Amino acid sequence: MKRIMIIEDETSLRDELSLLLKNAGYEPIAVTDYNNVSEQMKAANVDLILLDINLPNVNGETLLQEYRRSSDTPVIMLTSRNTEIDEVLSMSYGADDFVTKPYNPTILFLRISAVLKRSASKGTAQMYHDAEVSTVKGSLIKNGTEQILTKNEMIIFQLLLDRIGEIVTRDELMTALWDNDEFVNDNALSVNISRLRGKLVELGYPDAIETRKKQGYVLK
Amino acid sequence: MKLTEFIRDRLIAYLIYTTIWALVLVFLFAFHVPVEAIIIASVLIMLGVIAAEMWAFLRKRRFYEKLMSDLSQLDKKYLLSEMLDEPEFLDGRILHNAICEADKSMCEHIAEYRRENKNFREYIELWVHEIKLPVAGLQLMCHNDGNTRYNEQLRRIDDYIENVLYYARSESAEKDYIIKPVSLKRVFSEVAVRNREELQAHGMNLKTSELDTDVMTDGKWLSFIIGQLMSNSLKYDATEIIVKGEDFPDRTVLHFRDNGIGIPESDLPFIFDKTFTGENGRTHKKSTGMGLYIVKKLCDRLGHTVEASSVQGEFTEISIIFGKNELYKIE
Repeated sequence: MKRIMIIEDETSLRDELSLLLKNAGYEPIAVTDYNNVSEQMKAANVDLILLDINLPNVNGETLLQEYRRSSDTPVIMLTSRNTEIDEVLSMSYGADDFVTKPYNPTILFLRISAVLKRSASKGTAQMYHDAEVSTVKGSLIKNGTEQILTKNEMIIFQLLLDRIGEIVTRDELMTALWDNDEFVNDNALSVNISRLRGKLVELGYPDAIETRKKQGYVLK
Repeated sequence: MKLTEFIRDRLIAYLIYTTIWALVLVFLFAFHVPVEAIIIASVLIMLGVIAAEMWAFLRKRRFYEKLMSDLSQLDKKYLLSEMLDEPEFLDGRILHNAICEADKSMCEHIAEYRRENKNFREYIELWVHEIKLPVAGLQLMCHNDGNTRYNEQLRRIDDYIENVLYYARSESAEKDYIIKPVSLKRVFSEVAVRNREELQAHGMNLKTSELDTDVMTDGKWLSFIIGQLMSNSLKYDATEIIVKGEDFPDRTVLHFRDNGIGIPESDLPFIFDKTFTGENGRTHKKSTGMGLYIVKKLCDRLGHTVEASSVQGEFTEISIIFGKNELYKIE
């Protein structure tokens, strides 16, 4: 289970964020004492840090700058200070992403999983059962047979694969597609999923994508 | 200052001189002073008066001519006092001091307003950050409770908050943006994702092309601008938005076109004016006339040009023209 540290001084926001992450299958670790945040950051063994900019006693950007000297654990800045200056500053101090409040939780998850994936997969090929997933070629390869996926199908398949065995909602799939400049509508999503199913059947995976009524899809 | 004007101004003085001289003449004749002596005295006194008057005229003229020409050349008339040399004649000095004092007082006055304005703006910024926290909290609570019913309203609240923030930013004289290369594609898709639910609820089709280009702008401001255009498209019944980038050697143009109800030709020149609502505002939906005004102000401040064209019932197209200045590029 991925551990995510939350550094957010607004109590209600922190609690809701913890709950949100817990429900999504992460292990949230919330910082509650703001006197020695820097030490807590260094001591914590986590996979990702969500860091607010406006904190009591200290500025998130300064914390980040200090933290980067000793660690390259991914950090996502969460802030209501929505200016380009803050974003440029944060990115130059080594933030991996910059998300402004109020955030759409679906988009936040997308960012979190993208950042986690970037830091985890350093060239290792992803597998789906006995098929190799090639994001570079945009295809699935099983026993030498290659099945080409379209960009949309690949985005959908990736998201389902990252959360294999879990329910992925249509809303999440749609957000992921839009986030990749594919502004599809409901019908197009259904069409893409049935085409993806067809291609998986051809590779010998019948019933790979299960539909959960009113909830979403599960890749098995 | 013309000589005739000067003479007319001094007419009373000349009248007094003449009257006194006429009285003196009466006395001189009464005492049987020789006529030749009277003539010589008259001519000498006349010459003296003319010389004195000419001197007074010339030195006043030099000061006032410079004052008038400075005044007509200055685009900020209140800087006049900075241009003037102190004259040596008394009324000129009085005027000069008065102008300087008035100017100083005005500067103080303006500084005070500027300070108040800045404080107000800083408070707005602070307030916006504060109000966003409960909105963010509510949004997370809705998600955690599995309730999506309030999302639309929360998004609207957030939109209105952004409007206030950018209105304050657009009106302020302070430079709180940074110009750097920004990907049109990235900004557009970010705005689209943020508004995805509403766009899909309206059955909106988005078509983008040639957005793989960077423009010199402030990313956050541009994303607000595009958000405004998108919310107008939604407001005025568009079902399709076509966004296209066009690259020229000296500029990049972003075309934002929708197939909404369009703008009447007679309203078109005024759509960027503050609080202008026009025919669409009256007959259609609630319009504050602020959206496009803020868009224009922000574009002006960033140095972009914004243009609109429309055919009623067919389309509305807003084009933003980004300059390409090599000096901009600071790597």
